[in-house]
Amino acid sequence: MLRYFLNKLALSILLLLGVLALVFLMLRVTGDPAALMMPREASPQEIEAFREKMGFNRPLGVQFVDFMSKAVVGNFGNSLHYNTPALPLVVQRLPATVELAAVGLLMALFIGVPLGLVGGFNPGSLIDSFGRLLGLLGQCIPNFWLALILILIFAVRYGWFPAFGRDEPKSVILPAFVLGLAVMSQILRMTRSTVLEVRSEDYIRTARSKGLNSRTIYFKHVLRNVSIPLVSLIGVQFCYMLSGSVYIETIFAWPGMGRLLQESIGWRDFPLVQALAVFTSVVVITLNLATDLAYALLDPRIRYGK
Amino acid sequence: MYINIMNPNRRGEMIMKHVYKISLILIVLVMVLSACGPAATSTTVPPTEIPASPVPPTTAPTAAVQPPTAVPPTAVPPTEVPPTEVSGPQGTLRVALSGEPASLYIPNTPDMNSDTAASQLYDPLVQLDDQGNIQPSLAESWDISADGTEYTFHLRKGVTFHNGDPFTADDVVATWEYGKNPDTSKWPDRFEIAKTVEKIDDFTVKVTTDGPKPLLLITMWDFWSIIPKAYMDKVGVAGFEQAPVGTGPFEFVEWVKGDHITYKANPNYWQSGLPKAETLTFRFIPDSATRVAAIQTDEVDIVTRLTAEESQSLKDVSGVKTLEYPLTREYYIAFNNLTTGIGQPTMDAKVRQAMNYAVDIDGILKALFLGYGKRSTGFVATGELGYGNVQPFAYDPEKAKQLLKEAGYENGFTIDMACPAGAYSSFEEVCQAIVGNLGEVGITVNLNIMESGQYWDLEAKKQLPPLFGDAWADTSGEAYNRLYGALGGNNAAYSSWSDPKIDELLKSISEEVDTAKRKALYEELQVYMQVNPPFIYLYEPYTFEATRDTVQNYSPRHSEFVYFTNTTVAAP
Repeated sequence: MLRYFLNKLALSILLLLGVLALVFLMLRVTGDPAALMMPREASPQEIEAFREKMGFNRPLGVQFVDFMSKAVVGNFGNSLHYNTPALPLVVQRLPATVELAAVGLLMALFIGVPLGLVGGFNPGSLIDSFGRLLGLLGQCIPNFWLALILILIFAVRYGWFPAFGRDEPKSVILPAFVLGLAVMSQILRMTRSTVLEVRSEDYIRTARSKGLNSRTIYFKHVLRNVSIPLVSLIGVQFCYMLSGSVYIETIFAWPGMGRLLQESIGWRDFPLVQALAVFTSVVVITLNLATDLAYALLDPRIRYGK
Repeated sequence: MYINIMNPNRRGEMIMKHVYKISLILIVLVMVLSACGPAATSTTVPPTEIPASPVPPTTAPTAAVQPPTAVPPTAVPPTEVPPTEVSGPQGTLRVALSGEPASLYIPNTPDMNSDTAASQLYDPLVQLDDQGNIQPSLAESWDISADGTEYTFHLRKGVTFHNGDPFTADDVVATWEYGKNPDTSKWPDRFEIAKTVEKIDDFTVKVTTDGPKPLLLITMWDFWSIIPKAYMDKVGVAGFEQAPVGTGPFEFVEWVKGDHITYKANPNYWQSGLPKAETLTFRFIPDSATRVAAIQTDEVDIVTRLTAEESQSLKDVSGVKTLEYPLTREYYIAFNNLTTGIGQPTMDAKVRQAMNYAVDIDGILKALFLGYGKRSTGFVATGELGYGNVQPFAYDPEKAKQLLKEAGYENGFTIDMACPAGAYSSFEEVCQAIVGNLGEVGITVNLNIMESGQYWDLEAKKQLPPLFGDAWADTSGEAYNRLYGALGGNNAAYSSWSDPKIDELLKSISEEVDTAKRKALYEELQVYMQVNPPFIYLYEPYTFEATRDTVQNYSPRHSEFVYFTNTTVAAP
């Protein structure tokens, strides 16, 4: 178990270093930020002075070593836009993003799992058809479009929810639903197919032949086996939701990391984009590591597997 | 799936073990996530001290020693006639910004959203009114020496900052010193327009310049927002940005990053009866469709920067009023005679005239902007000094062909052009339409639409193709900065054009203090720029905004600049 953990940890650290290198390089290939950050009427001398001040004029290799040595201790420099250290700005936005992702995931679970179970146990029923349709739509509907439609219906037309912001507890409902919808349909489809698969396993037939009633079979045998793939799916999807809420946070003016990313790219705020990308990666890699561990704890085949 | 056949006791033990493990994992996850987030995300000012001495009643502004600078009107008509007077500020005015301000310290504000939010906190020495005239503000009057290089400002007495500090000459000097220091300011050149700023006594300040600077007063209005010296010295720029303090109509209350900024009315404001709103809140809503929804749901009172279609969709919504006005922004296709344009057919003025005649601006405006937009007459925008003495180029493809023939390009030519992607509303389509128009007179254009960051990088290095599209805004009420920025040759970062006659006229404008003479110089320049066009002149765009019915006296200027001092909102 320890060896398995250390193995995964080493891989994660390597991955993080790769992310750091990629983040550095990707931002540099689009051009020089000095000209863009300076006012338009600035003279070439002023732009050059700014470039020098920010160190953008040094060789790429030197900038890279400097970046890496500071990044590993969480120092990404000052945000060019806000003129304050970049990492705290990012960290400030984490609670809003986590709240959105967590509520979205809970909604996905509370809708997806029951519908998947009912559908799996009663394939072809009305609820199953509804669930399959919802699963299909959830995967197909572009979320930015759905976001606007939901705002129009539930905020503008009926006034049940605010159109934007994070002022009151119910503010989270619309963006979380949109964010969770794709995940919900994945959970629904996977729960349904796992139930269908498990239902016809030999051990279920054995349980039936022993005379166990359906409820015991469903709750003790089917559900437990459904939970294993669910755990890994939830882990992956939660990461996706933490990092993938850029559009949704922007549309709903949600004060999270995704919107900060969208804005900081527009400002070409190098330090802030780097801090965001690396911080999000750290969160995602940590969650992945935790998921791997959870999976190993739940399923001995992983733990002892070669 | 592993087979689950075991005795009941063993099974219970296994279940307990799993429950224990899963709980452990969840706890670890929660700890990882919660360890990262701080508890508080807002910054709050320390409680404001109320000054011991009452503010003396405000006298009517004394007449300025200098006749007001006569800039043509720049204000959009107010949304409505002022309502009957109410005692004291009332209600909460909620304004949606299209992005979060970067800073509320004026010398560090890089964009319009920051400027709009920050300006409500401060007063400059002189104020530019809605009609474009310079008026007294923290300076009651000023004298200008005969040679135009010495300004003596007589400061208003009895004004206090939001933190209770009295306003004196020391604060003016400090504002200038912090502003001209590149370590504490993004706009040092806007302060270096003055050579020295000296305190004569507590309420007199002398500003000297290197030669006449006709733009000094307007620059002081735009950038020299007076800050309290003692407070700034104590907290530094970073601390000041957390809790800014000025003498303005509104006081800073809090800034919740990513969400909103809140101000409250300054109870001791030196202009009695102002401001009209008790609370002023800025919300940051990046998506314009969401801004449209937010005004409909009455979650905000003012939304800006909508599209023409969005504005149309709000026309019939009850409780919402729309307004639109042309912005002081010029769109253009630039020619290059410094680097990539050398040796190209566009070096010939006739060819450049022909290209101006070939482009159907009105058609483009109609097709892409529902007809909203105003054909440019040149590089001086509507409402700016010297506007209106020339007519725009007519759309006349025959004349274009004739001019090309005269220039020796009867069979046309091929040339490269670039435009930025995603930088301006529908600008990619505008560029494509221009390519089509030019094709009709025989000019084949290879259009390259580039990512905007890379685009501006190349533009600053003067490496864009001989034709490239861009836009230039200005808030100063005069076209000088825009003209110099785009035509200043190698001395201006974004200029790709140099012409000795233009240089000479611009130099005269920058030194001419007399407004009437400066106006004549702008007019002469515009006539010259019609005969020798350095651009294909395009259009001035419209901007679209909407307010709730309850909002009155909201009057944005053509520069999008707006003060909320007089704006009222129905009390809750």
